[in-house]
Amino acid sequence: MVKELYYQKRRTLMSILGLSIGIALLIILNALSLAYRQAAHVPLREIGADITVQRSGDVPKDLAGAVFPCSAVTIRKEEVEKIEKLPGVRGIGTGLLLWVFDPNRAWIVLGIGKENSIGPSLLRSSVTEGRFLEDGKLEALVEVAYARQFGISLNDTISVADKKFPVVGFVDASRAPKIALANVYLPLKEAEDLAASSKELQSVSPYAPGDVNLLFIKADQEKITGLASEMKAILGSKATVATPDSFLKLLGSLFALSDKFTLAASLIAIIVAVLIAFKTMAGNIAERAREIGVLKAVGWTHRNVVAQLMAESVIQCFLAGILGLLIALVASFGLSFMKVNIPIPWEMSPTPHFLPGGGDQIFKTLRLPVHIPWTLASFAVLLSIIIGGMTGGLLGRHISRIKPSEVLRHE
Amino acid sequence: MSKSTILSGTDLSKKYGDLEVVKGVSLAVNEGEFVCLVGKSGCGKTTLLSLLSGLEKPTKGKVTLDGREITASSEDELALFRRDNVGFIFQSFNLIPTLSAWENVALPLFPIKMTNEERRRRATELLGKMELGHRIEHLPSALSGGEKQRVAIARALVNNPRIIFADEPTGNLDSSTGEAIMGILNRLHRDEGVAILMVTHEDELAKTANRLIRMKDGEIMS
Repeated sequence: MVKELYYQKRRTLMSILGLSIGIALLIILNALSLAYRQAAHVPLREIGADITVQRSGDVPKDLAGAVFPCSAVTIRKEEVEKIEKLPGVRGIGTGLLLWVFDPNRAWIVLGIGKENSIGPSLLRSSVTEGRFLEDGKLEALVEVAYARQFGISLNDTISVADKKFPVVGFVDASRAPKIALANVYLPLKEAEDLAASSKELQSVSPYAPGDVNLLFIKADQEKITGLASEMKAILGSKATVATPDSFLKLLGSLFALSDKFTLAASLIAIIVAVLIAFKTMAGNIAERAREIGVLKAVGWTHRNVVAQLMAESVIQCFLAGILGLLIALVASFGLSFMKVNIPIPWEMSPTPHFLPGGGDQIFKTLRLPVHIPWTLASFAVLLSIIIGGMTGGLLGRHISRIKPSEVLRHE
Repeated sequence: MSKSTILSGTDLSKKYGDLEVVKGVSLAVNEGEFVCLVGKSGCGKTTLLSLLSGLEKPTKGKVTLDGREITASSEDELALFRRDNVGFIFQSFNLIPTLSAWENVALPLFPIKMTNEERRRRATELLGKMELGHRIEHLPSALSGGEKQRVAIARALVNNPRIIFADEPTGNLDSSTGEAIMGILNRLHRDEGVAILMVTHEDELAKTANRLIRMKDGEIMS
């Protein structure tokens, strides 16, 4: 078999190359699609969640004291409890985002439920100086660039909505998740007190301690889409439910847009490759009609001939699969240097858009995590073997019908 | 059919469209007999050989080979029957160019369950008898015409056939090489007792056979 393939070097190489390019395209397209899907998980995963939930409301009449951003108003405690009970929800982290307009400064304040491993408490790893918040203490963390801009030092005391907070640490926002960014981070309890005592906030969105305005939800992967619909049903039409799929749509890439596109492009690549391989092998086998006549004359049955041609074809296609995989590995290595910018929707941007820089689009920039999972690699090699079997079988069945006397009649 | 008859064709005809190439031919070959079928090109002798060896089915008539009527057999049954009972030698050798001499000889054995060592041993033994023991690993492209035909004869013998069908076995060889090949065939018939039905258009070669059958226009003349 191998000798036969070696003897027909040119044709063998042609069919191996043709099919390997198709297999490589199949792998790369699917790896890219997978990479975009994984990239779409990053903005949520870096905050430890699979879904984030908030609800938009009215704009406060006066921007004075503590107010809710209009994109994140009250989510009641009962609503949170209902969501918590949905099948597929594995855990909920909460946050309370406030804009505090003091006479001489505006603060973006985020109250953190620091005992929860889901949500903004992950900021613990972004503390660059000092320490993270501790239980039951009236204290604050300040974003390091903000602190630099306004000359705030460690152990200073800052006044937020007439309440004093010692600064116990700095947080580097560039290392922090792009969702739930703030200038000042407070224990959730303190942020609740600020919200509950603000008349301006209460007039727009009634609030009671225990309510929140940001939810960070960990969920079973296969139930995310269904859960998003159920949460919208609980919270009403003004709810903003962000899932990996919603980020995928924001990416706008063809790969991100549709699995159907990837499937169609992969199918076309494979069909073209199979046709090239089939045509080359058919030419090869047609040239061997005399040889097959000899085999039949000396006692090879139809099944023997088909098995021989199938084995040759399977070896060729297996080699094509391996070569395709190698090409795809090299290509995916190259593609993994590609950067992708994932836009964070304005609703999830904590900065008031009327402040300087507040209207700027925030992006999460990351290297496209292109890799070839072993399941995809195995599928591609298995597919090439199946193609080999089918091609060899079809061509073998056709050519083995040849009558030895027709091809062996001497010249 | 007498006890010693290994091959018989009865009232064989073969038509290709309107053209009747073989016309109601009957003949028999006895065990260990060397029969030559002689005639000019296009007289139907190769077609008759194909009918008698089961490579082709007759339009009419029947063929009995080694006591079995093969005319109604399927293609696969015929292939298996040829594998076990028949050897072929062709004018243009019909060796597989990608296989070495011993692999070509062992070609009929590859579908049979046996070790590769056994196949090689049998092929090498036969190549030794053909004085090609030093050429077993050579590809056909590295062999002379006479050597190729000797490899083809070894291939025809590898399954210990009862009868060998030879179609112009010296047609592509020069006269001295042709004579050497005929010497081998005669020796096979004489020493091994293998029946041979040979097609040729050369009367000189036919003289070495036990019996000579002349064909003309698809019919047996004598």
